[in-house]
Amino acid sequence: MGTARKTATEAATARSRVYGLLATVFRAEPDADFIRHIKSPEVLGTLLGLGVDIGSQFNETPETHLLEDLAQEFTRLFLGPGPHISPYESIHADDANPTAGQLWGKQAVEVKAFIEEAGLVYDNDFHDLPDHISAELEFMQKLAEHEAQLWQDSRDDDARQCLAIERRFFEEHLGQWVPRFCEKVVVKAEMDFYKQMAILTSRVLDYERDVLESAQTQA
Amino acid sequence: MKQLNRRNFMTLAALSGGALAAGIGGGREALAGSVKIPSVESSGRDFSPTTGKERKAIPTACWQCVTRDAMIGFVEDGRLKKLEGHPNSIRTLGKLCAKGQAGVNQVYFPDRILHPLKRVGKRGEHKWKRISWNEALDTVAGKLKELRDAGTPELFMYQYGRHKASQAATMYDFMGAYGTKTIGNHTSVCEAAKWTGQESLWGGMYDNWDYDNTDFVVIFGSNNFETHTNHIPTSQRLIRAKVDRGVPLYVFDVRLSNTAAKADKWVPIKPGKDGLIMLSMINVIMNEGLFKKDHFKFMRVTPDYHASTNDKIAAVKANVAKFTPEFAEKESGVPADTIREIARGFAKAKSACLVTYRGTVMHYHGADQERAAMLLSAITNNLDRPGGRVMGVGASWKHPSSPKAKVAKTLHIKDGFPGEAAYPTHHVSQQVWPMIKDGTHGRPKVYWWSCYNPAYINGDNKGVAATMADESIVPFQICTTIVYDESAQYADLILPDVTYLERWDWEDMVSANQIAEFYIRQPLVKPLGESRCQGDVWPELAKKIGFDLVYSSKEDFVRQSCEMTPGVKEAGGFEYMKKEGVWHDPNDKGNYGFYEQEVDASGDGVILDAQTGVYWNWKKTGAKSEKEATSAGYLKTSGSKGSYVAQKIGNKTYKAYPPNTSFLKGGLLDFYSDNFAAKGLPAFPTYTPIPEHQKMAKDELILTTYKVAVHTHSRTAHCKWLTEIKHDNPGWINPKTAAERGIKDGEAVKVSSQQGEITTTVHLTEGIVPGVIAISHHLGRQHSGVYGSGKTSPTPGGASADPDAKNIWWDKHGNHPNVIIPNWSDPISGTQRWMDTVVRVKKA
Repeated sequence: MGTARKTATEAATARSRVYGLLATVFRAEPDADFIRHIKSPEVLGTLLGLGVDIGSQFNETPETHLLEDLAQEFTRLFLGPGPHISPYESIHADDANPTAGQLWGKQAVEVKAFIEEAGLVYDNDFHDLPDHISAELEFMQKLAEHEAQLWQDSRDDDARQCLAIERRFFEEHLGQWVPRFCEKVVVKAEMDFYKQMAILTSRVLDYERDVLESAQTQA
Repeated sequence: MKQLNRRNFMTLAALSGGALAAGIGGGREALAGSVKIPSVESSGRDFSPTTGKERKAIPTACWQCVTRDAMIGFVEDGRLKKLEGHPNSIRTLGKLCAKGQAGVNQVYFPDRILHPLKRVGKRGEHKWKRISWNEALDTVAGKLKELRDAGTPELFMYQYGRHKASQAATMYDFMGAYGTKTIGNHTSVCEAAKWTGQESLWGGMYDNWDYDNTDFVVIFGSNNFETHTNHIPTSQRLIRAKVDRGVPLYVFDVRLSNTAAKADKWVPIKPGKDGLIMLSMINVIMNEGLFKKDHFKFMRVTPDYHASTNDKIAAVKANVAKFTPEFAEKESGVPADTIREIARGFAKAKSACLVTYRGTVMHYHGADQERAAMLLSAITNNLDRPGGRVMGVGASWKHPSSPKAKVAKTLHIKDGFPGEAAYPTHHVSQQVWPMIKDGTHGRPKVYWWSCYNPAYINGDNKGVAATMADESIVPFQICTTIVYDESAQYADLILPDVTYLERWDWEDMVSANQIAEFYIRQPLVKPLGESRCQGDVWPELAKKIGFDLVYSSKEDFVRQSCEMTPGVKEAGGFEYMKKEGVWHDPNDKGNYGFYEQEVDASGDGVILDAQTGVYWNWKKTGAKSEKEATSAGYLKTSGSKGSYVAQKIGNKTYKAYPPNTSFLKGGLLDFYSDNFAAKGLPAFPTYTPIPEHQKMAKDELILTTYKVAVHTHSRTAHCKWLTEIKHDNPGWINPKTAAERGIKDGEAVKVSSQQGEITTTVHLTEGIVPGVIAISHHLGRQHSGVYGSGKTSPTPGGASADPDAKNIWWDKHGNHPNVIIPNWSDPISGTQRWMDTVVRVKKA
């Protein structure tokens, strides 16, 4: 494998993993294993190295309490009832379409069609809306994973096409609303964990925008 | 935080990879399968994320109000776009009201509850945590199993607001298999007195009005053109009768409703006087010889079951003698000449409909007012005859039933406090929470409500809310709902309900043309989020408790019902209904003259009761021998009601009006009622002034409530299209009444009663009788999203994310009159007395 191809494979794999992590964060309340993973000195160190400080609260609260606190915070922030930051693209879309701001709006339909056109289906046990933030992040994770495989298989044209699809999904969907969503989370989150994860997500998307744009330039 | 670069991004990726490899996180992934993008070389086609648009038309049924019109939903890209009436429905004839069309708002309003939520703070503190359905149902099953195992299944109470047809059938099936009979409903806040009055006469038949064939219509306290329990099927037929055939329409109402406004004459009337006017019309008809004799043989008007028609005529005359038009005018404000004019028109018409509803019956002795309406219809031969007041016909579905529990018990908190109501045949739902608070008659340990909002819809609703909030009264409360409302806030567990546009049902609402319509509701879209139909919850919950139901899901229940219901089955069963939505028997000529069917009374064990003229089968009773049965008689033998065969009238045996409700009676229309006499109630329809109105001070008014065309009582406030149309409810008062109090149009007023005080505004109009304030009852929400309550969410997301939330051009959200109305009952039926409250109105 050529160096360029190897680098491209590594880059796609890395992007896939980061998307996977973020999808996990926004998918549901964290479980005990996830908290333990984050709490491990190695991970905390890495995060701190990136300037992500999830705070003493996270470290010092006993695990069972932390799980409960995070679950409540997740519910308060993303589920309601009452004021919350709805985790669906259709709700946040800045769009004149009459279904903007509604559940299962135009964007939900587009995202579902986009994902299904790419050969994926929504799992039978997935009971949320198609434009949930975690579904969109997970879609990018799977596209980047596929792209890595294509580079590895020396199918450069297909890999570039896959990257173009990633860019298109990013530009049409993820990049359109998640930064604004994250800003709202930063303001409303009471626990540092969600505040910092929102900041991290924003930064990742900034980085992604550059990566995808430069890929386009190179192509 | 630092900006990311390639180096630190790779570090982040490494730790992400660690987490992913371990498969940890907390939720499930959304996507399955693998990415399949056609190769550039092999496909030769461009990648397009958008598909060709397909709009599907799916037959289903409405649920905004109890009318439940058959309709068609149009779905594009998995999103419901619009709702229209079902063109092949014999009930609706393809029409759908504004509420029905705004059903789209129910599915997609951004405040909708989509996940099971467990309370984590104190009740009413609004602190919640999402839990899985599995955990939620494990919790519920644990509590219910404990009660069942302890032999106290009745300590689980379930109460519903709107459950009908298969939604009710599946629920009752579960409760029967579990063993609780502590099941509350809401009928007594709707119209129970109307049914109790009718049941005491013609049994379990409920009236419909044959507008297609009628020649004359008189309406009391009912708003057919705006809002009604059978709105779309009846209103269009009444309009057609009026416009196409010139049928006269008279409307008695305290308020100039849009029905009254379209009538030949609006007759303003004081509250609680409808029955008196009817008795006065009977007085005119009897004294002027305008009655028709035909129905008298089916009537009983004195204790004697065998009285001659002439004797009966004399008795009716005597009973109504004091209700002269002049007396009625003095009491009701309706001119005597108007009473005479309408009475004569009604009696002389070839056929005539007499319509009553809440305005007539939601009073002290409301059930007796309904009996007067039946009497007026009977003496003019307009009962169960074409063009008259007929027996409503709905679809009789067959459905599967699960084995019943061995132990089935009830708490005695459904029928009001002891002595409160003589015949609460539809329960006393407004007293459920006051009785729970009182505690003397037992309290449920688990209270589960669904499609119901007790802390909003009852009288003294704030008192109900306070009781629900108290964790020491009912220890565990479960709410199945789509929206966070006045009651859901006090739940311990919230289960996300589907909207009616996401679920299966068979439906059975009454037809307006006497031919039963069978129709179904099917999901137009997949349930949003984790919302789940109650009919899908029951089988799973049963399994967790340790018993099985005979159906696996609501869809399965509907499928089985379609395959076992005669007519529907032959038409093609479930597949036919899914495709067509509606079915009726093309050979059905319509249900009229039920009572005139002649019956063979010669069966084994059938004997004639000398006192009543009833043929009854003593072998189906508790009697040990024919001799014992004969000696005790039909009315005194236990279990005799179910043994009724026929009524002997002259030399013939008629089916007549069987006693198929809780009233034990013969086959005649009991205008003289032993049941009523035995409990010290008027045996013959009469006029009983409302006690509180007799004691009113000069400056006091009567508060009445009403509905508008675009809202249901409590389930539409979050529908933005409807709330834009109707979002404020100033009290209507007459300019004369206002002038006496120095109140001007639009001014703020305080309205106070024995129950409490509200501040609202007033609308001055000649369209309301003096001495009354009328306030509609849909608004003044504490919760129900930004459209319902006017509270903009302080954070984005929720309803405030809807761009339309920025377009809210109104700043009023109305006031709720129930705050100042006590929970008090008609002593006959237990009906909530919505229309009797005495208030003072002063400038605020």
